[in-house]
Amino acid sequence: MAEFLKADIEKLMDGVLPWPSVQDMLKSPKDLDRFDKYVEIQQSRVAWDEKILLPLTPALFIVASDGERIVKCRCGHEFGDYRINWKLFSLIHVRDDAKSIAEIYRGREAPDAGWTQVREYICPGCGSQLEVEAVPRGCPPDFEFLPDLDTFYREWLGRPLPDEGEFVDKTLDVITTWDE
Amino acid sequence: MNQQSTLSLKERLKKDDQAFLETGCLFGLEHLEQKEQDPGTYEALWHILSNLCNTGWATGCKVSSSPIASEGGDALWALHLPTGEAVCVSRGITAHPGLLADMIKGFINLGYEEHPGFHQGDIFENNDPHYGGIHGPDFDMAMPIFYGDELVAWASAVSHVSDCGAVVPGSIGFMNPDCFSDGLCVSMEKVGEDDRFYPWYEMRVRSRTRTPDWVMGDARGRVAGCITIRERLMEVIDKYGLDVFRSVTREFVEDSRRYAVGRVRTQTVPGRIRKSQFKDLAMKGKRVLLNKQNIDCLFNLPMELEVRADASVHISLRGASGTVPFGQNISPTALKSGLLNGYSHIVGFDMFNSGPTAAWEIEKPPNGSWANPFERDFTASSGVAWAPAVMWMSSLYEVFGRLYQTRGFVEEMAAGAGTTMTAEFSGISQNGVYVAGSTLEQASNGSPARGFADGENSAWCIYTPNADFGNAEITELFYPVLYLGRNIEPDSSGYGRFRGGLGHTAVWMVHGTSGIDYQCGCAGMRSKIVANHGMYGAYPAWPDRPSYAHDTDVQQRIDKQLPLVHERGDPEAPDISAIEARDLQEAAIAPFVTPEPLQNHDLIVHPISGAQSMGDPIDRDPEAVCEDLERGWTRPHIAEEIHGVITQENAEGALEVDQQASQEKRAQIRDARTSRAIPFQDWWRDERKRVLERENMDPAVLEMWRSSMTLTPDYGDELRAFWRLPDDFEF
Ligand SMILES: [Zn+2]
Repeated sequence: MAEFLKADIEKLMDGVLPWPSVQDMLKSPKDLDRFDKYVEIQQSRVAWDEKILLPLTPALFIVASDGERIVKCRCGHEFGDYRINWKLFSLIHVRDDAKSIAEIYRGREAPDAGWTQVREYICPGCGSQLEVEAVPRGCPPDFEFLPDLDTFYREWLGRPLPDEGEFVDKTLDVITTWDE
Repeated sequence: MNQQSTLSLKERLKKDDQAFLETGCLFGLEHLEQKEQDPGTYEALWHILSNLCNTGWATGCKVSSSPIASEGGDALWALHLPTGEAVCVSRGITAHPGLLADMIKGFINLGYEEHPGFHQGDIFENNDPHYGGIHGPDFDMAMPIFYGDELVAWASAVSHVSDCGAVVPGSIGFMNPDCFSDGLCVSMEKVGEDDRFYPWYEMRVRSRTRTPDWVMGDARGRVAGCITIRERLMEVIDKYGLDVFRSVTREFVEDSRRYAVGRVRTQTVPGRIRKSQFKDLAMKGKRVLLNKQNIDCLFNLPMELEVRADASVHISLRGASGTVPFGQNISPTALKSGLLNGYSHIVGFDMFNSGPTAAWEIEKPPNGSWANPFERDFTASSGVAWAPAVMWMSSLYEVFGRLYQTRGFVEEMAAGAGTTMTAEFSGISQNGVYVAGSTLEQASNGSPARGFADGENSAWCIYTPNADFGNAEITELFYPVLYLGRNIEPDSSGYGRFRGGLGHTAVWMVHGTSGIDYQCGCAGMRSKIVANHGMYGAYPAWPDRPSYAHDTDVQQRIDKQLPLVHERGDPEAPDISAIEARDLQEAAIAPFVTPEPLQNHDLIVHPISGAQSMGDPIDRDPEAVCEDLERGWTRPHIAEEIHGVITQENAEGALEVDQQASQEKRAQIRDARTSRAIPFQDWWRDERKRVLERENMDPAVLEMWRSSMTLTPDYGDELRAFWRLPDDFEF
């Protein structure tokens, strides 16, 4: 098995690792400690202390926080239980008419607002654009990844997490509490 | 088992299924003995057999006649186990090894071993979607290979012929209203023996296709490649022995399965991934064949993927929308084979063969959907079945990209794929002969953005690793067009921290003909909408919008030496708008067939999409934006408004980043985002009302939701629950 320097993995993440070294990473049998190194790097790059359990996207992390497992932005903003689609707790800007779509897609490039809307999910803490969806009206937001964290830690990494919980999508439980 | 089996092939298939159930290993191979005992020979034979397939490809393409195979290499040859599993394959159209494997299993399960029997030199073929084919123009062929009196392998081939006699000329039958218009049908047939086609096979091709010389040339190319494989294989078996050959070929398939499972186990995380995806087919008011086709369609192409504790992968299409009265429905067999193609790119590419199909499971797509049409609508057309499948499969790249990110394998991450908008011509060529067929432009999209870099420009294609758009000069030999331009298209890959590779745009002038139809075909594209590929905050690539000008002043412009059109130009004022023409379409909604044949000096501007981007566009390295500006790969308003990068000319006249101004611009963009965006819950409350009112929802959108919610009731229930709609709500 290959082993790569943390410094090189950081360069890879930042898009500055020279191509021959990237090729080496692509072609070599994968390094078994990559996950731990990646998490250590991500942890060292944020200003908060909660332990990262899983990098969900380059900007969002599932972290352990007072016995809870929550989604947290690199800026520190918290989105709640990772089993609820974090988009429910984000800011959203939707382009669903020709004028707002034209700010991104001009002239002949514009999609038809009767067929699709462009949804921008924004972090309230730092203004990062976390995800963009282009879907027709009526489409519930994608819950892109609901990890089975306990199976991952217990069976795949062989080091179970404390306070194991149920692997279940809780998004609709929140929706039922909202006022129409 | 490395002795000659006494069982029939049909019995062996049954026994293998049982062994897999009992051991979890293909053929019950719990140990890869040949690999363990003699890894050197094992590895050597893998490369020898793979090269043998590539030799088949090289020979077969040379013998073939159509530009698609002979210039584009858009074909494939493979070597299979006696029971059908693909062992190794050539370069070329990698969507097919799964199909070819299932086709051979089909011959066995249909009892062909007893009657008509399998003999050296036999040629079997299928292109019929009702029996697992993907679409009419893809002729899938197999020839049994005997060593002595034992059937030891199969050689197979597929080529995408230029015309299969479908109702509209060419090979992208998006317009076919039903299976009766899909063209010449070869339905699981023996079509030749002693390495020759039966005379009636050729008579049928001559009677029922528009370009019989090309179609027969390609058929002979397929046979030539298979014979090449067979003859070389005899030498290999002579040298290494039949026992070794029997063992390694089975081990290669099981090894490949293990590799795919291993990658999932060590490089992803268990859980549930969801990715919505859509594709339009807007045909209302255009030239169509039957009244029922005067409609706009939107496809729902949802992907739900579960990575389970045992690293098996379960894939579902719950929510897929209904069949369409066009050639864009696909059989589950063909869909599975298409998925193997995507899987080979992103998961199981170390040894590409049938192995990975045993590492995942596709839930039967909703009955009556575009992905499982025939039980409810046996007459559904599959003229270009690949079209919705490839758009669906594009999600697989992003889905696995996201999974690899969670484990830190940044070098394996990819965003979504580009689209496949084809250009076909039919009519009288500059040589006075009838031609019909596809150009090769679409075989070179940009490649998806990577986790560490932009994608590559015009160098990648989802359906073939042999991404090659052919030589312009060769295309000019086959079709009555001249290239006025073939340029990288700026901003054609969406906007993100890393952008997808850019696509290119071909500009053609019609030349030397008495008239040709330009079919701007959909083999998987979008023209009304953009892809749902805003991965990590990127903006998806814009829709496919070709242009053409019919009955033009181009001749006068040439005489007066005025500028012609060489590229698309500014999105708000395309270059073609300077042309005087009776019919000028600056940004046509594709796909379509030109309403009238195009004449000499008519112009076509045909863009090929880039691939998708990833990451927040204001996280893009400002130097990369500046470099793109210098190369003409992005435009100033995108650099400034989307990426927040301000540049200025330095003393030498070169562009450089104004770091201070860019930082300020990016801060402004962040502030503008947080001030105009609203809490999700507030949006949900208002959007819920608009959904209930069906506000600004095109009839195509409503019809899509209706069929999705009917064909998969629990998908409908979840959608209603999300918007808190009444239990009996329907769109
Ligand atoms: Zn943030």
